[in-house]
Amino acid sequence: MARVIISEYKAKGLLSSYFGYKYEGFKILKEGSLQKQIKTLQPDKRYVIKVDEGIKKREKSGFLFKDIQRQQLKTYARKLFDKKFNRLLIEEYIPHSKKDEKFIALERVREGIAIYYSNKGGVDIENQKNTVKKEIYSNKTITKISNFLKVNVKILEELISGFDKYCISFLESNPFIIKGERIIFLDLAIEVDDTAEFFVNGIWSKADLVTTHSALTPEELSANLLAEKSPASFKLNLLNPQGNIFTLFSGGGASIVLADEIYNKGKAKDIVDYAEYSGNPNDEETYLFTKIIISLAKKSPAKNKLIYIAGGVANFTDIRITFRGIIRALDEESVFLKKHKVKIYVRRGGPYQEEGLEMMRDFLDKQGLLGEVYGPEKVLTEIIK
Amino acid sequence: MIIDIEKLRNSEPNIIVLGSYPPIIQSILDFDFIVGRTRPSIHGVIGLNKKSERYFWGDKELLLPVYRNLEVTPNNLNNKINLFLSVVSARRVLFTTDITLKSLTNLLGGVIFAENTPETHSLKLYKEIQSINRFIIGPSSVGLLIPGILKLGAIGGVEIKQLFNPILYQPGNIAVLSASGGMTNELLNVVSSLGKRISFCMSFGGDRFPITTPMEAIVSAEKDTKTSHIIYFGELGGVDEFKIAELISQNKITKPVYTYIAGSVSEAFSTPPQFGHAKAIARNFNESAKAKMKSLKEAGAVVGSSFTELVSLIEKIPSSSKENFAIDKEWKKLINRQRALFVSTISHETDYGVRIFDDDLLDLAKKHSFSYITASLLLGKKITSKELEEFVDLVMKLLVDNGPSVSGAVNTIISARAGKDMVSSLASGLLTIGNRFGGAVNKAAENWIYGVESGINPGDFVEEHSSNAKPIEGIGHKKYRVENPDPRVKELRRWASKLKNRKFLAFAKKVESITTDKKSNLILNVDGAMAAILLDILFEKEGLSIKELKRLTEVEFFNAFFIIPRSVGFISHYLDQKRMDEGLFRLPKEEVAHVSRTQ
Repeated sequence: MARVIISEYKAKGLLSSYFGYKYEGFKILKEGSLQKQIKTLQPDKRYVIKVDEGIKKREKSGFLFKDIQRQQLKTYARKLFDKKFNRLLIEEYIPHSKKDEKFIALERVREGIAIYYSNKGGVDIENQKNTVKKEIYSNKTITKISNFLKVNVKILEELISGFDKYCISFLESNPFIIKGERIIFLDLAIEVDDTAEFFVNGIWSKADLVTTHSALTPEELSANLLAEKSPASFKLNLLNPQGNIFTLFSGGGASIVLADEIYNKGKAKDIVDYAEYSGNPNDEETYLFTKIIISLAKKSPAKNKLIYIAGGVANFTDIRITFRGIIRALDEESVFLKKHKVKIYVRRGGPYQEEGLEMMRDFLDKQGLLGEVYGPEKVLTEIIK
Repeated sequence: MIIDIEKLRNSEPNIIVLGSYPPIIQSILDFDFIVGRTRPSIHGVIGLNKKSERYFWGDKELLLPVYRNLEVTPNNLNNKINLFLSVVSARRVLFTTDITLKSLTNLLGGVIFAENTPETHSLKLYKEIQSINRFIIGPSSVGLLIPGILKLGAIGGVEIKQLFNPILYQPGNIAVLSASGGMTNELLNVVSSLGKRISFCMSFGGDRFPITTPMEAIVSAEKDTKTSHIIYFGELGGVDEFKIAELISQNKITKPVYTYIAGSVSEAFSTPPQFGHAKAIARNFNESAKAKMKSLKEAGAVVGSSFTELVSLIEKIPSSSKENFAIDKEWKKLINRQRALFVSTISHETDYGVRIFDDDLLDLAKKHSFSYITASLLLGKKITSKELEEFVDLVMKLLVDNGPSVSGAVNTIISARAGKDMVSSLASGLLTIGNRFGGAVNKAAENWIYGVESGINPGDFVEEHSSNAKPIEGIGHKKYRVENPDPRVKELRRWASKLKNRKFLAFAKKVESITTDKKSNLILNVDGAMAAILLDILFEKEGLSIKELKRLTEVEFFNAFFIIPRSVGFISHYLDQKRMDEGLFRLPKEEVAHVSRTQ
């Protein structure tokens, strides 16, 4: 549904094959057998080992080690795994002079492909920002860049065409070096447009995405799974699992507005989750989604829990049907909700709102649950206490 | 593309829907009905599997035609269409929009509803429209609304009760522009509940590259003379709002802009989260809601620090609307409307009798022949030419019977002699009608249409069939041959001299001249001749287009001209047998040979 980062391993693999040579990197997963994997490497070479989870500034943060002997790799890998990372990359270390390190980034913009480039690549690029130049790709600018970087224009053209063909939205290599006729990406980050997955014929897929930092929680994973299988959309991000504010928002824009309101009131630290559905899901889906939110509520030790089931005035999402699923889930968990005096605040509008809101009111009444139910007569953000 | 709202306000909307999303289509029809249009602004749906879809028009029903693509729509329709609404899936957005832009000459623009359209596809379409002066709103757009004039999308709601909101009909002075579809409707709700009205409302979509950019949306509002104030809802992500701030600073936007940029909450996350819409992620400070709001405020926009504050700011916008738009009590009955079990377009019963195409059956019977009424009912509308009536009469007579030896008659006779009743015996005869016997009229019509439309050389046409070892329907007879021609075909051909061009018959004859060279019984048979002449009459005299003729073959129209007269023949054979009271038929032994299968 947006721009997503794929692993460096995958990024290098697909570009290498586009350039017509084999990529020799190694991916190491936490759950794999380390010893076995490292054994296959040549003993006399030197290596780079780094975290492959879409993180920037790895070298500065101590997530990248270079010029390492094979027998040391295991120690370094353990070190990184202990920092809660799951995915590492091992490559042969290529000795080179610092002054050969160059920087290039490509970004898809409305005008075409923007190219950012500099002769002074490397870890200090942050301090060299004024050396980074920008052009929009054209026959003329590419020649200019080629002359400036002293990189064969054919290599740059190839890179641009691979960028386009594989529906890449953003590519950054810092640094890269040129060795003979080859471009070598010492570091490479690629964001693809995941809506184009169908059109790249398996060159990359959802399996190649990396999630930044800590792995997703089981709840976030379940929400992702739900989203993948539905034409509607579901989003779940965890903030503070110990908090007391639970959200079950609807509508892409209204959900952010509602979350903003909590933030503006200085209560952001109490938010457990940012949960959003939109695009007219069916009742089975809203049922499952609500169950996920309630499971979070059960886990949090906080007192005075409250759930916001709130959203804008929908254009085409059926309130009756979406609420039917939500009510079913609340109903199954009513013992818990009652016992912990969880408050339920509802605000929603859209197709069949009267029926949907009435169902919700009835349900809360009958179960003796605490809460309030409003329709569009209430200003969207006024539901946030 | 900057959208000329004024122009849209002054042109009658003629919409084609790409793909089908019934609740949205119904809501547009309801909007049209409530504004008092005499017919829907939607003229058809481009979709698969169906020929039409049923919708309510008020509390009555109507059929909206469905076309497979824009090549089979009537030409005059393509010329008429000035707007499209695309509800196809994201994968098909580029392909279908591209064809639509190329096929429709009088198109002003359209809306794309699908979420998750690839960036590169949006950008291709963006590039394409720059040189052809058409607008596209979206992807991920719920549409464009001009009160009382145009509802192009789900915008404003899809349920009938939502459509009773006066803000959809009574024009005002506030333009509502939004990145989010839901917030579009939320803002309409806010404006409406404050007693204010809109000049127009546009959801430009929350994608990374909306084809109508936020800047273009806001300039469209600036240029619209009916707009005095602008409400703009934006989100974190991207840097469009800085460009809007620039436009305001440069006095290119002079109308007051009321705005809120959602996404401050992003700061509460340790890593920037991706929110619901594709663009909604702030990777750096510039893309944050805070930075954008600051820049807009400095440029002179009226920025709400929260949505609640925005609402109270909107309250102060002066309203221009004078009279109140009353919701007609009559419309309330639309809430309880119900779908009929099935639909008929050719006839209906009244308290006073049966009406066929709104004419009383008795009147028709007095004024017209049986052939006239039959042909009209079969065609689904009153025929206009004397020639069709005359030819149908001739066909009915010529095909009424072909003796007792043909398949259908044999079956009828055998059934009758087995003691079966009239309907069973007739049915048994009718069931033999198919591509080999009698039912080849429709297939023959398909052949001749293909020949005329494609302009294929008749020799190649014959070759296509023989290389696939496929017989040509409409050609060939068991008994008749060049030396012994079918007298019925001769008569049909003689009659056809009344027509001018006879291009279908001409093609059929050319095919016959080639096939009879090969074998003398490969003559144009009665099915083939009848199909060709019917096509010529329908084309020349009834004014049907090739596309319409094709649709007739799709419903097996042409076979009716064999089935109807021959039913008379079968019934007659049944009665004949019953009168003679012949006993049960059994094949004499010598008529069935026993042959062993050779290995």
